[in-house]
Amino acid sequence: MNHSAKHLYLKHLVTSVLRMVGKKSRTLFGVSLLSFIAASCAKNAPQDTWQPKGPNAKIIDDLQQPVFAVAGVIGLIVAVAVIYSVLKYKDRGQPIPEQTHGKPALEITLTIIPALILAVVAVFTFGAIFKLAKTDDTEMIINVTGQQWWWEYDYPVQNDFGITQPIISSGQLVLPVGTKVLLRETSRDVIHSYWIPALNGKRDAVPGRIQTLRLEADEPGIFTGQCTEFCGLSHANMRMEAVALSKADFAKWVANQQAAYVAPAKDSLAQQGEAVFLNQCVRCHQVNGLMRADGTPAIAAPDENVWSGSAPNLTHLMSRNTFAGASFDLLSKQCRDEVWNAPSDVIGTKYLAGVSQDCLNQKDLRSWLRNAPEMLPMYANPTQLAATGGKYRGMPYLALSEDDISKLVAYLLTLK
Amino acid sequence: MAIMEREIEVITPITATPSSTYGVLKRPVAATGWRAWVFTVDHKKLGLMYGVTAMFFFIVGGVEALLIRLQLAAPNGKVLNADLYNQMFTMHATTMVFLFVMPMAAGFANYFIPLQIGARDVAFPRMNALGFWLLLFGGIFINLSWFLGGAADGGWFMYAPNSGPVFSPTHGIDFWAFGLQIAGIASLTGAINLIVTVLNMRAPGMTLMKMPIFTWMMTVVQFLLLFAVPVITVALFLLSFQRNFGARFFDVAAGADPLLWQHLFWIFGHPEVYILVLPSFGIVSEVLPVFSRKPLFGYPFVVFSGAAIGFVGWGVWAHHMFASGLGPVSVAVFSLTTMAIAVPTGVKIINWTLTMWGGKLVFSTAMKFSIGLIVLFTVGGLSGVTHSVAPSDTQQTDTYYIVAHFHYVLFGGGVLGIFSGLYYWWPKMFGKMLNERLGNWNFWLMVIGMNLTFGPMHILGLQGQPRRMYQFTNARSGEGLFNFAFWNLVASIGSFVLAVGILLFLINVVITARNPTKSPLDPWNARSLEWMTSNPPKEHNFDVIPTVHHLDEFFHRKYEEDSATHTMRQIATAEEIMAEQERNADAHIHMPSPSYWPVVLAFGLPVITFGMIFSHLIAVFGAIIVFFAAFGWALEPSTAPASDFETNNSAPGKALESVGKS
Repeated sequence: MNHSAKHLYLKHLVTSVLRMVGKKSRTLFGVSLLSFIAASCAKNAPQDTWQPKGPNAKIIDDLQQPVFAVAGVIGLIVAVAVIYSVLKYKDRGQPIPEQTHGKPALEITLTIIPALILAVVAVFTFGAIFKLAKTDDTEMIINVTGQQWWWEYDYPVQNDFGITQPIISSGQLVLPVGTKVLLRETSRDVIHSYWIPALNGKRDAVPGRIQTLRLEADEPGIFTGQCTEFCGLSHANMRMEAVALSKADFAKWVANQQAAYVAPAKDSLAQQGEAVFLNQCVRCHQVNGLMRADGTPAIAAPDENVWSGSAPNLTHLMSRNTFAGASFDLLSKQCRDEVWNAPSDVIGTKYLAGVSQDCLNQKDLRSWLRNAPEMLPMYANPTQLAATGGKYRGMPYLALSEDDISKLVAYLLTLK
Repeated sequence: MAIMEREIEVITPITATPSSTYGVLKRPVAATGWRAWVFTVDHKKLGLMYGVTAMFFFIVGGVEALLIRLQLAAPNGKVLNADLYNQMFTMHATTMVFLFVMPMAAGFANYFIPLQIGARDVAFPRMNALGFWLLLFGGIFINLSWFLGGAADGGWFMYAPNSGPVFSPTHGIDFWAFGLQIAGIASLTGAINLIVTVLNMRAPGMTLMKMPIFTWMMTVVQFLLLFAVPVITVALFLLSFQRNFGARFFDVAAGADPLLWQHLFWIFGHPEVYILVLPSFGIVSEVLPVFSRKPLFGYPFVVFSGAAIGFVGWGVWAHHMFASGLGPVSVAVFSLTTMAIAVPTGVKIINWTLTMWGGKLVFSTAMKFSIGLIVLFTVGGLSGVTHSVAPSDTQQTDTYYIVAHFHYVLFGGGVLGIFSGLYYWWPKMFGKMLNERLGNWNFWLMVIGMNLTFGPMHILGLQGQPRRMYQFTNARSGEGLFNFAFWNLVASIGSFVLAVGILLFLINVVITARNPTKSPLDPWNARSLEWMTSNPPKEHNFDVIPTVHHLDEFFHRKYEEDSATHTMRQIATAEEIMAEQERNADAHIHMPSPSYWPVVLAFGLPVITFGMIFSHLIAVFGAIIVFFAAFGWALEPSTAPASDFETNNSAPGKALESVGKS
């Protein structure tokens, strides 16, 4: 190729690149690419990272959308350039071209352009990083502790929200809307990661460390999430939900969580269930206010039985929708849909109704009580517990009779 | 070539037992049969053995991948249980990274670096053999765990404290850590060997800036290995001591910080990514110019961008930890460095495209794989840029979006480059050309298969499907036709299309081996020195060490520029150049002698580590093997005595001919 031809192809390249970067076609490419991706996506995927429902997730989304668009355009330019040269410069018997070794000016230009694009991206990235790291505007603190394979939520005393005694819950994180909540995360065993995509990115819960994550929801709703740091056998089943309630509904939730223990009615099935609970479950699971027959408080000692040291507090189990690390529903399918798909102005009321006898997902709860390790992979095999000194990792098989299971279910239903 | 040399004239071996001059320390002399392979120090034979080993583990890792995709083909998969699934994805990654891509790159480097720089072997031939055997035994050792209680189940990243004895009570992680330790020694010895070779043994006239680009990229890789492997070595020692000797490096109760492991792992792990892709970048940078009939566009830019990646690659590790809680300042810094490394990577893509621009493109299978790499690696590179935006990464990390990203990088970049190299260099290695028609099917099935497999993972990840889940549930899958179940099924179907593509390659190998047709001397109209010798090359590579005047020396011996049109016209054929070399053959060629000791020494190490896990007595036995092998190695005579060989009084030229045939 002679010099003028070379000049021509360089000019051609530059103009075609410029043409593609032109505003109109950029929008066109961006829109067509995004609409193609959007069209082939699952509808209402509950963990969609492109559907922010709170200001923190919004910061991320506002940052990532243009980056995806620019990346898509650059990818298209490369693809078009490659396809163009494949078609144009196919061997059609032309002579072997001049052995040119490159053109430094063009090289440097094409190095500087992406560097400049990235520099712009970096400026906005820095802004978002520091916005998302702020902790001085916190309105509410919730301590979140990961354990194989569930999350514990501990609301320290915060009089502004009517929390006059610590609330300990698990599975579902309940928070008031429009409130800047700061999670203080840690773990009792391995590293887990807390992720509610609609509200923010993820943050690892690392044993021995306390790390913070901002959460804030715009509207009432139930937002799903999953543990995203590989944490052993049941990593896939370690789920969680964030339940955003209006401030008034949240106050009701707080009041209910702090309500005193109501013992089951005399001679009811539930009362027999309480006995079974005291006999079996209370070794690991705390129910605040539960008394032994001799009138002393029943204090769970999970640290003596569970390697990681804790087990879900069941005081107000039936105020939650899910159990066993949000792996299973406490609500039957129909009742669950009624709550979860409720419009945001009534979802709070529906959620606060808790789990009634009619709505209870008997099947999963009974199976769980019958043989938990069969439902969820856990290191429950006693022959493999040498390394933990015989302590369980997850709920073991308890060899409960069907009678006992019925009694327990009746009792658990009273834990509103 | 150090001290282990012997005269080439006396190569013709005898079948009789060698003389007993040095008793047990005599050197092997067999030039045929299995001994010729097991005791060889020839860089080409070792390169081929690396390649075969890598291919074997590629199939193992591929079967593991197919099992994973079968399990995830539908919600609540039941093909594997959680425990087995965790072992499967751990071993899939471990196998593909450490036992396929790295050995394959080592194989190419072993075979072609000496040929590309006009040398007759590497600097330390016995150490080269040791490296191969360590890799092989290390790989076998890791996989033994499948049969001895279960494989490693902590993920290839093996985060503490989940890798501790309490959380992973089988011996899988012990096998994993010790096996990688053994394979790591192979990488280290190989790195030192190739660096010394490249720096000291280039043909006269070959300055660093006239060195073929593949050799350049491999040299960068060796430096990365030299500094990265020691880091993982330390980390693996800490882990092994924690698991086997009660150390508490990652025990949180004893005050440890689990992030220590993450930093160590990723300071190794990120340069490792470049260790995996730079060899393929080198390969396509060879292939594209050959089939574009043009030199690599901006050779110095490609060289320096490769070196730049080598340097900046050390400053980006914490982008794997954006969700770990490093604090905003660290996150911002690593965000910036990660963006910075995109620039030299982009330079390469631009240069490859411009190499094709204005060329005379010949679409051989090798060329197709290289073009495929440009496009598909770009996809992986761009999704990588989206991770550099740290807040965005906190949404994407540990989702399938990341799985999509690094498979576009490692499969679209790494593996397509490897296949390009296999098709391109096959005639050089075996004297026969792979079937191009089958190659075409192989290419398209692999490209379609990989896009079907990994493309949908972008969507899955962005819509919130985390990685490393043995099951996914309908409850989080969304609604409509295009829900997670649909995309997971597409990915699973894609993985089998991909597998058929790779199967076609294996079929192609068999067909080619059975086909008696020999390859021409210069089938691709190539440009660099490795093509300036016979196919396959003689044991001593070159009859005469060429003197280098140009980058692309071989091309410039075949063509000269027409001063009027600036196009190139042929002035010599490859056969003529070859014949001239044979006429001027060196009279005395020194080649290293084979040795028993590398394989013996290498065997001792897995015996030691096996003993570490099961019984310290066995470890003592292994140590004795290593000790005696080292002793034998050190005291071995530098060459086999002449009496071990059949005397050959014919002229040197004739002796060389017999070497070429052996």
